[in-house]
Parts: sequence; C-alpha cells; structure tokens
Amino acid sequence: MANVVTENLTRVFETKSKRILALDGVSFEVQRGEVFGLLGPNGAGKTTLIRILTTLLLPTYGRALVGGFDVVKEAKKVRSIIGFSSSSERVGFDFVTARRNLWFFSQLYGTPISEANRRIEELAAMLDFQDQLDRKLYTLTTGYRQRLNIARAFINGPQVVFFDEPTNGMDVFSAKKIRELFVKEAKTNSRTIFLATHNMFEAEEVCDRVAIIDRGRILAIDSPENLKSSLSKPVVLLETDIAGASIGDPTQLEGVVGGTIKVDDENEAAKIRVILRDEDFLEKILGLLEKRRVRVFNYQRIEPTLEDVFISLVGAGFAERERGIEA
Amino acid sequence: MLGRASQRGRGALRRSFVIWVKVAVSRALIRIVAMYGDPLWIVVNVGGPMLTSLALAFLYRLAGLSSLTGFAILGGGMVSYWGNVIWSMASQLNWDKRSGMIYLYIASPAPLTALLIGMSLGGILGTLPSSIAVLIIGTLLFRPPFAPPTMAVALIFMLTLVALYGMGIALSSLYLILGRESEEVNEVLYESISFLSGIYFPSIGRFSPLPLAVQAVASLIPLTLGMDALRRTLFYAEGLTELWPNLSALAAMAVASIFIGLRTLSYIERRGRETGDILVAMK
Ligand SMILES: Nc1ncnc2c1ncn2[C@@H]1O[C@H](COP(=O)(O)OP(=O)(O)OP(=O)(O)O)[C@@H](O)[C@H]1O
Ligand SMILES: [Mg+2]
Repeated sequence: MANVVTENLTRVFETKSKRILALDGVSFEVQRGEVFGLLGPNGAGKTTLIRILTTLLLPTYGRALVGGFDVVKEAKKVRSIIGFSSSSERVGFDFVTARRNLWFFSQLYGTPISEANRRIEELAAMLDFQDQLDRKLYTLTTGYRQRLNIARAFINGPQVVFFDEPTNGMDVFSAKKIRELFVKEAKTNSRTIFLATHNMFEAEEVCDRVAIIDRGRILAIDSPENLKSSLSKPVVLLETDIAGASIGDPTQLEGVVGGTIKVDDENEAAKIRVILRDEDFLEKILGLLEKRRVRVFNYQRIEPTLEDVFISLVGAGFAERERGIEA
Repeated sequence: MLGRASQRGRGALRRSFVIWVKVAVSRALIRIVAMYGDPLWIVVNVGGPMLTSLALAFLYRLAGLSSLTGFAILGGGMVSYWGNVIWSMASQLNWDKRSGMIYLYIASPAPLTALLIGMSLGGILGTLPSSIAVLIIGTLLFRPPFAPPTMAVALIFMLTLVALYGMGIALSSLYLILGRESEEVNEVLYESISFLSGIYFPSIGRFSPLPLAVQAVASLIPLTLGMDALRRTLFYAEGLTELWPNLSALAAMAVASIFIGLRTLSYIERRGRETGDILVAMK
C-alpha cells in the first residue's frame, strides 16, 4: 500500500522581488515499510516538500496523500498518523525531564498514558538513553537531545514519519543509532520513513529508495544500487598537486559530463573527480594537465557514489550547486 | 444509513473532545512542572513580589497609613499572576515559533486553543502557591484591616484571572506576528501596565492620584478593574450591588480577548500555510 502519494505537486513562493518555483510538478509514491530518501543540495525543495506532506504548508497546484488522506482537505486526519522532526527545532522544555517531555508530546496525540509510557521505555532502549530519561533536558548533551528529538517523532506510533536532515551536525555514534532505528521501525513496524538529507552516505546506508531532487524537480528515483549501476560512464579520481586547482570548473574540460574539484590548501593538493563521456577522454585530460604543469600523483577509476549520479544528472556537484555555479 | 453517519460523527466529536482535554491538561501540567523545575523561577516569582509588597507596606506604616498596608499586600498577591501572564503567556507562542516547537504543534492533532487554555490553567495553578504565600506572610506581619472574604471576593478574583489570562491569550497570538522584538514589547507593556493598573495603589476611582484621561485609559486594562473591585470588596466592604459595572466589564473583556486571541491564532495558522511566512523561523 502506498503511504505517500504526490501528483504533480507544485509550490510557488511569491516574494516582493521574485517568484520562486520551489517544487515543480513532483509525482511519486512511497510504500509502507519503506525508508525513502530525498537527496538534493541546498534549496532543492526538500523542506518545502516535507512541509506540504506534514500539512504545514499548502501546495500551489497538485495533490498529496499521506496514509490515504489528502494533506489539504483532510489535514486533521493526516496529522494524527504522522510524526515529524527536523534538526532545527528545540527538543522540548528545558526544566522538564526527558521522560516528561516525551509524555507531553504523546498527549498531543491523545495517546493513552500506559501506551505512552511503554513507548517511551521502548524508544529510550532502542536509542540507548534510558539512563537519561529522568534528567532535565538542559542537563543533556547535544547527542542525547538529538536522540530524544528523533524518539519524539515516533511517540504516537505514526504510520509515516518525516525527518528533515535528522542527523545534521550529529556525532557519529548517535547518527548510527538513529539510522538503525529507522530501518528497524520500517521493517518491523511497517512504518514509512521519509527523510530529507544532503548526506550521500546516509542516503546509501539506510534508504530502500532515493529520489534525487534539484531545483524543485525529481530527476531520478530508484534504489541506491540501481541508481549507481545506471551510471554506465566511468568515474575517475585524479589526485594532483595544488596547481590542479587552476583548471577551475572541471565541467569545462572536453569529454567531461560533470565533475567536482576539492582543493586541500593545507596539504597543497587537489582532488579532481570527473565523470567522463567515455574512457578515451582520460588521456586527453592527463595531457592537458601536463601542459598546465599540474603534477598528477595518482589517478584511478572508482566506484560511483550517489553524488556521481547527481553530477551526471545535473552536470555539477552539490557544493557547486550550493555555491550557485551553473552547469 | 443516516443513523450510522451521525454515530460516526458523534464518535469523531468525542475523540476530538478527549484530545482537547488531554492536550489542555498535559500543557497545564508541563507548565507547572517547568515552573517548579527552575529554581530561579521560584526565587523571582515568590521572592520578588514578596519583597516589593513588604517594602511598600513598611512605607505605608511609617507614613502613618497603616490602614493602607493591605493595598501593598494584596498587590503582592496579584502581581505574580500579571507577571506570569506577560512573561510566560504573552511571549510563549512567539518563543515556540522561534524555537520551532509551534510546527510540532501544528503538525499534530493538538488544537492550539487547548494548548493556550492549558497554558493559562497551568499558569494560574502554578502561581497560586506563591500568591498565597505573599498574602499569608504579609497578613501575619502587618495585620491589615481586611474585611472577611466573601463569595463576592471569590467571584471577582476568578473573573479578574479569567480576564487577565484572556488578555494573555490575545497577546500570545498577536505576538506571533512579531519576531525577536517581542521581548522589548513585553518589557514596555509590563512596566506601563503594572503602573496603570494600580497593582499597589488605587489607579482609578475616588482615591486615584491620576488625571481622569489617564484613568479612562487605565480602565481598558482588565487588571485595573479587577484590582479596583478587589480593593473595594476587601477594604471597603462593597458588594455586588456596587461592583456589577466592574464585573460585567471584566466578563466582556474576557470574552472579547479570548475571542480575538483564538481568531488571530487561526488566521495566522491559515496564512502561514498559504504564504509559508510564519514557517520561516525568524532569527
Ligand atoms: N517561505 C518561503 N518564502 C520564499 N521562498 C522560500 C520559502 N521557503 C522556501 N523558499 C525557497 O524555496 C526553495 C526551496 O527551499 P527549501 O527550503 O525547500 O530547500 P531545501 O532543499 O530544504 O534546502 P536546504 O538543504 O538548504 O534545507 C529555495 O529557493 C528557498 O529559498
Ligand atoms: Mg531544508
């Protein structure tokens, strides 16, 4: 059964100076028990999509159903079957214990007390913060607060749970716990986990399917493995000295479909990652670098990542997109 | 067919009612737990009013106006509610907006009205002990000439609180329009209303030192009418026959402010969903 359905979902923001098309005809379905990732750079429209699905924002055109209910016409029904958390909101009340905070949020859904207590224990055990439950919020470390925030989103036993950049700025250990929880909740309790992220690793690690979104449009949607294997073009990583930085935008090079360059000033090195139209272009690039007196320490064909899929779709990487470099 | 539909309708209504009550009660409880979970809160909310009212009472006694010490004690008992309304009610939703919590509320089935009413109830119940403490200690120290409390006093006290917290609900919703500047607005409102409403001295009526025009403005504040009525019952033994204008004005203000507050809130929520503006947390 499809737990999330969108049809031609479109959202326009009108500001004084301009008209922003934040979502542009988005259509997809997410099933029960699925961990679904929305992967895209800053400004892609991830938060906008999540806000519409959580009834916080109205679409301009199109339709969306969550758990079979229309997010506009049946917002109240949608609200009682979803959970929601973004890394930006506060976790709760500072001078109140973690347990009481969770209890309070369960009451927003009218959850019976015994059931709420059972869920609090269960979630605390799964995220490993039982020993923190009776401490006041302001005494908790950031990692525990973030875990609490994730637990909160599950407190009503939701059918669909939305997370906007859930592990942003989180310590590695907490992030790992949380990813395990996502998979477990989806598989054993048949919940749909819907998460927006620009963390490629996270998307590959936990998502059954990933939608790649850029400028309000879904460019591809499939399992991480399929997305990567659909990329038949070679991905090459060249490690050079700092002079490599002089080539500027790698997409300007002949035969390059898309690419990124990371300059490491400290070690006076650069990493140029390019997706080539075909393998023959590697020779040309090496020749060009030699002509520009760039020392190449190492080059090798590498396994593509989701970022390479993104690059091959839009020509530029996340960082370039976010800096506003046009493909 | 029709029967089943209306049965389902009634079931839904019952469920909404149950959620409403659960939300209001849990919000009230959290408010109280949060108040007493913060040691500083107790110092500020019990200590502050206590010291101010004792200082004023001493002043009245030194000036040979022992009969007026009761004004100071009564003021000390009431000022905590006013402080609670302005610092914890009025600014609450604005804070919830800036901290992102309001989106959790909106994205849940919890009615915002239940949250506001619960917050008021929690505020009243949580403030009650400190208000009583000030009254008891003040009375023991100064033995002011209170008339024995009557039903009229209880009625006026309750109506004053309803009108006062109604104002809190209205302010809370209106503050959603503001960003961080809400804190300054609060500061200004607190000082000016504390003065105009005459918490420690009669700001309206026969004994008011203020010009009539200022008294007229002061009368638009529910706290002014409430304090005036409380003083008149407690110290001048006036009853409902004399005080009904205050009482009806208080009731009207309570209804109007709660209405304005809840309407503003649903307007802002609706507009927020349309424009996305309220959803951009103001930094
Ligand atoms: N309330 C708003 N008013 C005007 N423009 C908005 C509003 N909210 C979002 N936008 C614009 O819509 C576009 C999509 O923004 P959105 O926040 O959905 O992106 P995102 O993918 O979540 O990005 P990030 O990774 O930075 O969180 C951006 O251009 C953004 O500036
Ligand atoms: Mg975002």
